Amino acid sequence: MKIVFLFFLLCITAVQNAQTGNVDFNSPDNIKKFADYLFCDKDYLRAAIEYERLADINRSDIIEFKIALSYSYINDYYSAIQKFSGIIKSSVYFNEAKLEEMKINFLNNDFAGLRSYFKNSFITEVDKYQTEGEKLFNFSYLFTDDALPSKDEFLSPFDFNEKEKISSFYDWKNEPPYKDGTLAGIMSAVIPGSGKIYVGEIGDGIVAFITTTVFAFIAYDNFKAGHTTRAWIWTSVAALFYAGNVYGSVAAAQVHNAKITFEFNEGLNVYLNKKNYYITKYEFCD
Amino acid sequence: MIKIFFISVLLFTISAFPQTDRSQQVEEETSWVKWGKADYRYEKPNEFRHREYSFDTESVSGFIAKSTANGYWYFISDLDGDNCPYRPSCSAFFVQASKETNIVQGTLMFFDRFTRDYNIYKRHEHYPRVKDGHYYDPVSLYTLDESKIDYIPPSVTVTK
Repeated sequence: MKIVFLFFLLCITAVQNAQTGNVDFNSPDNIKKFADYLFCDKDYLRAAIEYERLADINRSDIIEFKIALSYSYINDYYSAIQKFSGIIKSSVYFNEAKLEEMKINFLNNDFAGLRSYFKNSFITEVDKYQTEGEKLFNFSYLFTDDALPSKDEFLSPFDFNEKEKISSFYDWKNEPPYKDGTLAGIMSAVIPGSGKIYVGEIGDGIVAFITTTVFAFIAYDNFKAGHTTRAWIWTSVAALFYAGNVYGSVAAAQVHNAKITFEFNEGLNVYLNKKNYYITKYEFCD
Repeated sequence: MIKIFFISVLLFTISAFPQTDRSQQVEEETSWVKWGKADYRYEKPNEFRHREYSFDTESVSGFIAKSTANGYWYFISDLDGDNCPYRPSCSAFFVQASKETNIVQGTLMFFDRFTRDYNIYKRHEHYPRVKDGHYYDPVSLYTLDESKIDYIPPSVTVTK
């Protein structure tokens, strides 16, 4: 019986012991270790919260930078900019922080802000990464409708192996393969459906041609047979299809142009992502 | 023997208690409910197919378009079935187009849409789809206002 009791007591002691805290999980050292673990596990929001729990005295340059980086990685650009801009010049990550600020302007589509930041702050304050900053600065022109700099000036910061690709981006932006809506409308007014074919909607163009001509023929045939009322009804139908097609050709040109712009911007984003926005990969977790 | 048993149970209860979930005690202070009957609905939600017969428009264009569409829905479409491959459907497109622009432009947009409706060639390469498989083709693409065009690639499934 005593054995059972002692065994039971042992179990209780073991359970109680498991709940006791011999480790101070809230010590700065342990908070930092846990935050580092979260950061490397890509749990950036919780990593930032853990890092921020550390008192100012326990925060090193790298922690300040990783807090800002964490916010940037979870797309909390407002907090990220606040943190990056708070990194002081004596910090070893000052230059990286400034380049990250440019990247955030980019991701925020704030291209005017990016250019003004580059000209007024980046050039004068940052010692390293001037070429990378200039590349991002030039790239910003490809996302807006602002006048492009000359091609030589535009290509100058890029490496030789990049120039061909960047040159093709520049040429596209300079002369995008847009379709003229007015021309599409006029073409459809002359030959129904031809405007749609011009903007690349071949199937729609053929269908528009068939519907308009079939209804027009039915109207003509009814006029010829002396069925005036029916003839006018079919004339109205043909006219509506005809006018709808002229209108639709103009609209199709606009949609085509929007598609072209979308695909171009997607191509730029993919390229920049691949290049990591010209930011060197950090080795915090290796 | 019994005493020892009761003492053991008491000690075990005391040790186990800190591990229990005591959130039920503060249930009134929180909105968290541990168990509850789930309200399952097995209907396939289809917000793109929702039909509103009421006349909530203030413009004459909208009223004419809505009357036409309501008549079509009531006498033909509700009996004939869901045949339009697009969302919004051609009739809903006509109503929306007339409300957003005017009856003349809305009519032209409708006839253009009607022409596209007949074209079965490579539609999947041109339009994104909504969840139920219909092609998404909103009015905003065709109002001739370029600022309203929000291009969505065909690879995307539109949820709203």
